[in-house]
Parts: sequence; C-alpha cells; structure tokens
Amino acid sequence: MTVKVEVIEGGIPHNKIMIAGIVSTLVCLYLTYLNVLTSTEMFSFFGGLAVIAALIWGSHTIKVLCSYGIGTGVPSAGMIAFGSGVIAMLLATKFGIMAPIVAAVLAAVIGFILGYVSNNILNMKIPAMVQSLTEMAVVGALTLMGFAALMTGRFTFDALTTGHVTVLGMSLLTHQQSFIGGCLIAVAFLLGAIAIQHPFNACLGPGWQQDRMLMLTAECGFLSMIMAAVMSFALISTGSAIISLIIAIIGWAYTYKEYMVLSKRDAAAWLDAKPIPEVEGH
Amino acid sequence: MSAVAAKPAAGGAINWTAMAVGIVMFLILMGICYYIYPTGLMPLFLIVVGGVLIGFGVHFVPVGGAPAAMGQAPGIATGVAMLAAGGGLAGLFGGAWAAAAGQDALVVVITGGIGGGLMMAITCMMVNFVYVFGMGIPAASGKVANDPITGDSQVEYKSQGTEGHGLPFISFVGGVIGGLFAGAGGTLIYLELLEVYKAALPGVMQITAAQVLPIAVSAAGMFAVGMFLVNAVLTAYNITGTIEGPHDPKFKRWPRSVVASAVASALCGLVAILIVAL
Amino acid sequence: MEHIVFGIGITALTGALATVAGAAEDTESNIGSQGDPNSQVQLAPQMGFLHRIFNKAVAGEPPAYGLWCCLGAGLAWAFMAMQFNAVLAIVLGSVLAVFVQGVYATTAYVGRTASLSKFGQPIYVDILKSMTTVTMAHAFIAIFATVAICQLINGALGHPFPLPLLGLVWGIALGAAGSATGNPYYGKERQYQNQKFGAGVPISASGNIVRYAEAGERNSIDNGWFTAKIGGSASGICFGMIVFLELWRTVLFEQVAAGWGAIVVGVLMILVFTVIDRYIEVWARKTYGPYTEAKEASS
Repeated sequence: MTVKVEVIEGGIPHNKIMIAGIVSTLVCLYLTYLNVLTSTEMFSFFGGLAVIAALIWGSHTIKVLCSYGIGTGVPSAGMIAFGSGVIAMLLATKFGIMAPIVAAVLAAVIGFILGYVSNNILNMKIPAMVQSLTEMAVVGALTLMGFAALMTGRFTFDALTTGHVTVLGMSLLTHQQSFIGGCLIAVAFLLGAIAIQHPFNACLGPGWQQDRMLMLTAECGFLSMIMAAVMSFALISTGSAIISLIIAIIGWAYTYKEYMVLSKRDAAAWLDAKPIPEVEGH
Repeated sequence: MSAVAAKPAAGGAINWTAMAVGIVMFLILMGICYYIYPTGLMPLFLIVVGGVLIGFGVHFVPVGGAPAAMGQAPGIATGVAMLAAGGGLAGLFGGAWAAAAGQDALVVVITGGIGGGLMMAITCMMVNFVYVFGMGIPAASGKVANDPITGDSQVEYKSQGTEGHGLPFISFVGGVIGGLFAGAGGTLIYLELLEVYKAALPGVMQITAAQVLPIAVSAAGMFAVGMFLVNAVLTAYNITGTIEGPHDPKFKRWPRSVVASAVASALCGLVAILIVAL
Repeated sequence: MEHIVFGIGITALTGALATVAGAAEDTESNIGSQGDPNSQVQLAPQMGFLHRIFNKAVAGEPPAYGLWCCLGAGLAWAFMAMQFNAVLAIVLGSVLAVFVQGVYATTAYVGRTASLSKFGQPIYVDILKSMTTVTMAHAFIAIFATVAICQLINGALGHPFPLPLLGLVWGIALGAAGSATGNPYYGKERQYQNQKFGAGVPISASGNIVRYAEAGERNSIDNGWFTAKIGGSASGICFGMIVFLELWRTVLFEQVAAGWGAIVVGVLMILVFTVIDRYIEVWARKTYGPYTEAKEASS
C-alpha cells in the first residue's frame, strides 16, 4: 500500500507554465551568447537562470504525468528525461548559435518517439504520456545546455571540449580539463535529474499546493546553480564565477525561506518539541 | 480526477499494430544511419543489441518495491531501474577498464557482464543473509508452488498475510542473470561508441588520437549511462514496477520490451553517432 | 611484480573504505528514513498513526547517492583542477555535497508532512533541528569514502573514467547495495518491531509502525542506533565485498590469458556466492521450519 495520489486541480494551467518555461529558457540561453559578443564570460549566470526556468516547467510536467499513477516511482521519470536529453543536447551543440533551438527540436522528437513506445508498445495507455515525455526530454536537453553555459560560458561543441591549463605560467590548450573531458556533464545530469523530480516527490500528498511545489523547484534550481558555479571556477574566469555564485546564493536563500513560509502555511501544525497529538482510536 | 481511476490496467496484452510500427521505426532509423554515415551502421546495430540486452536482462532482476521492505513480498526492496543501474554500471566499470587495457572486444563485453553478475550475486546473497540471520525469515515465493530450479515447496514457508519474502533460489539466479545481461549490454554500448569516437573525432576536431581520448571516453561513458537508464526505465514501465524474477507471470511480457528497447536504443544510438557524422 | 603488489595494496584500502561507506550509507538512510521503508512512514498518518519520524522523501537511495557522490567527485575534480591538494579537494567536495544533501532532506521532510496536513500530522521543528545534522554527518562519511575510492581507482589504479563519472557509477552502486541489504531490516525489524519476530508483516498491519518505544516517543536517531548493528554492518560488508572483489580480480588476473583469467575468476566467485546463498536458504528452511504443515497451507 502506498500513498494515495489525488490530483488537486487549481493553480496556473500546465500549458501556460509550459509556454512560459520554454520561452524563458531559450531567452536565458541566448543571453549567454552575449559572452561571445563581448568576449567575456560574465554573462554565464544566465545559463543558471535557464536551468531554473526549465526545471520549473519540467517539475510541473512530472506532476501531470505522475498524477496518473504510472506504477513505478517518480524518480524514474526524471531519469528517462535526462537520459534522452543528454544525447540530444550534445548533438545540438554542433550547430553553433542555433544550438538551443536544435536541442529543443531534437529532444522533442526523441521524447515523442519514447512516449509513443511507452504508451503503445509497452501498453501504458496513459493520456498524458506522449506529451509529458516529449516535454521532459526537451527540459532535460535544455537544462543540460544551461548547466554547460553556466560552467563554461558557451554552448558550442568546441567550447565544451576544450579548456586551458596553466603550466609554468603559460596557458596551454587541453581537452582533459573541459566540461566533456572531465565529465562534468555527469554531475549536471544528476543535479538536474534529482532536481526535476524532487519537488513533486517532496510535495506529494493530498495537501499538494502548486505554489509551494514551484517555489521548491526554484529552490532546488538555485541550489544546483550554487554547486555548478563552484565547479565553474575551474573552467571560467574567477570574476564571472563569483558573479554566478553570488546570484545563486541570494536566489537560494530567498526561495528556501519562502518555501519554509509556504510549508508553515500549509502544515497541520508547526510544533517545537511537543508530543505526538492524540488521535481517537489509536 | 482520482489517480487510480484514470489509468486502466496495463495488463500483459501485446498491441500488435504498435509492435509492427515499432519494428518499422527501427528499420527506418537503421536506414537513416546507412544513408548519412555508412561506417556507423555496424556500431549502431551492436548498440541496439546492447540496449536490448539491458532491457531484456532487467526482467530477470527480482524487485519487490515497498512491500519487500516490510517482508510482505519477495524480491529486493529497491526500485527496479536503479537496482539494475547499480549492477549494470558496476559491470560497465569493469568493462571500461578491460577496454582501456586493450583487450579483445569479446573479452571486454564478457568482463562487463561478469562484473554486473558478481555485484548482483553479492547483493542477493547479502539480502538473504539479512533476512535469515537478521530477521529470522526464510525465503518464499508467492507466485509458484515449487521453486522451478530446486523443487523446494514454497507455500508453507510463506508467513501469514504476506505474498512471500526474501529471495528464493530462482530469484537469486534471476538476479545474477539480470546483472550479467545488463552489464554486458551497457559495456557493449560503451565499447561501440568509444570505437566510433576514437576513429572519427580526431578528424572532426583536428587533434591527435591521444588528445581525443579523454573526450571519447567521457562522452561514450556518459551516453552509455544515459542509454542504460532509458532502457531500464522502459523495462520498469513494462513490468509496472515489481517482478519476482523469471518465474513471475509478468516475465512473459518481455517481447514488448525487446521491441521498445530496440527502437529507443536505435534512436539514441543514431543521435550519438551523428555527433561525428554531421 | 611491484606493480601488482601496489595494486593489491590500493585494492585493500578501497575495500576498507567501501565497507565504511556502505555502513555509513545504510545508517544514514535509516536515520533519515529514505527509500522503500519510507513509504510506511508516509502511510502511517493516513491510517491515523501520527509519529515523530523524519520523513526524508528524496528519491530512492541509488539516485540520491549517485548525486551526492558524483557531486562530491565533480567538486573535488574542480578543486584539483585549481591545483588544490587532492585530500583537501576531496574533503571540500564532500562538505559541499553534504550541504546539498542536508538541504534536500529538510525540504523533503517539510514538504511531505505539509502535504499530509489533512490527517493532522504536525511538522516537528525540533525533529528537523536534531535529525538533519546527524544524517548529514553519516552522509559525509559515506560520500567522503566513496569519492576517495574513486580518486584511488582513477589516480592510483589508472582507470580511464574521469573522477565525476566514477563518482556516478560507484554512488549508484553504493545506493543500490546499501538499499537492497539494509531496507528490509529497517522496514520489518525496526518499523514493525511490535509484530512477531520471524515472519513478514501481514498486509492488515500496514501503517501501524512503532511510535512509542524504549526511549519514549520514538524518533529516527533511535532507529539509526538499532539498525546500525546488523543492517549497517551487512550493507558495509556487501558494498565492501563488491568493490574489493571487483578490483582484486582485475588487478591480479587481468593480464592472465589476455583477459580471460579475470573472467574465469569472476565466474568462480559467482559460483561461490551461489553456493553460499543456497546454503543459507537451506539452513533457514531446516532450522526454522515451515509456518504451517505442507498439506494444510493456505495461500
């Protein structure tokens, strides 16, 4: 016997969140292109904001999908989203400035086929399955691209596979100290996969509220951004990394506090060192 | 709309139209690869074989889910996709090491399989250890009256009010076989992608083979993990979360998973190979 | 020859680290109540059994530990790329990864309990304050040991995978091994301690977990204290054996018969564990006996 999942209607409709999500993610990803235009890495933090926009959209998609009771856990949905998204994302980086749009389209195709396979060949027969898996693959690909832009300042294949190492004061080109070469893409993969499923998983229950879940998504996104910003110190200039880090810390502190406030609002009671309340018959 | 009412029972039925569409999609994907990048056709085919091995192998792994954690159902008390991932990735680890040591392809794949099988064997043995010596509960299956391999009767060793508990011998063997297939499948995917990238990336990126090695290893490893998870989750959807092992009636659903894994692996493998082709 | 002796020494060290990691992981997931047994902690208020157990609903153990260890390894990699000392890099990476784990734990507890407000389950702030640091401490040990294993495998034994990818692989394997071994012990033995020993929990008892026990109202530290004795040790031995035997057979036998030596040794090991498992199963059947007579048994 497991927790009963009941869909509570209300809040912003999913399609609005989807459109807002995809627009803001693409806008933020393209704002990192300012790095190329200004030959700096100062605008890398937009990659982190793209991650948060995509995660907010994606966590709501998981809520839509998992409300139907797919029979297996919520984390699996996050894994399949990112498993299909990572491959789409890397191929898309070969397309220069068109990379984010190519990533979205390619991931949508992959997600659509996976959704068809799950619904028809595996007989899941869930109404929202095809659209949800399509959306989640796109979210996966764009989140990973956002992490890549945050950590390296660019979203093109060459920038993700080359880095610099300082030997005896000289800066040498290397492939080992790069986003792909050092496999930081694995860290981005798991950061995103856990962050996308955690908000719905953690707010699951009859008292689910949309604003609380979305605030938690923003908090998870900013937390992941903090960690990615720390890792970016190895790949981009210190000043740019500090900008990303400060923005991430401020965003995280705010969203965490707000989330606690919302949880206190929704909880049955907010007790400190009190005994278990008596319930009749138990 | 209540969650339980919205979803009709998935059942074990096979949707033959969808299976045919799946096979057609698979052939189309192979055709696209042949058209754009002919040298990638054999690696893509082997990647599909690896994906199917993973999808098929995960059906053998005994997973009991939340009831198993209370001794109410046989199997291991973990999610099926991630338990299979644990075993398969341990196998991939060993296989990658053998590949780096320059071993022959067959040896690499079998080493990966043995790595996965060994991890599952140790885990399943320790599960029974904890059940027997820590909790005083013998293993019993809820789906068959007699263990298919040893002939032990199961019904009277099942405690009252439960569906069975622990890992009967058939489930143990299933777990090991599942680890073998999953480890071998993941290693095969990794090996093929590694060969494709080692051969083609130096030309694409204009660098030497030695310099491209970290990129090739990391990209191939990451994609192997990604495809592993996709195939494992598809199998989890196929068995709707829990299965006792190869003796479970749900095991008969494996043909659906083979077609699903073939399509998914062909699609993901094609995209991964196109990185060097476009 | 020295190469093999060095390899065996490193293998022994990683085996010891893995045992510690496995024990710490299982104890941490029992103090935080994570994974499949946590479904009972969530079910209990719905059946009217309110409790003071920490309800850490952060995915299952394999993906969660995959993230902490991969994150710790990635951060350690980044610090080492900035020319930090390797040990300092691993410590700093583990500290930051544990911070993430602690934050996820608190948001999960608060979120799930707030969503169960309909059944009257309160959020206990003192549980939040006292359990979180304990679970973070155990997680730090598990993460540090696993990232250290990955660094040894990559740096000393020469595995081609970079540190973050090794962190992902061994983090998921750690979570899977610890979860498989330790979850039934926590779920059946400790959560349902009031049920009869030596039998599974009947379905009719679902949700009726122990809430008042030896030290007053039970909390998760009591659970961690109990399960660390058998569940934690068994998980540690499980993960330790997995890491040690996998590395041992590769380091010693990889060059024998062009790789077939390691394969043959692996097959032999699997057969040994099969025999041990069969022995355990038969011993249980003989020593404990059936619950009912064979003919009268009803399903």
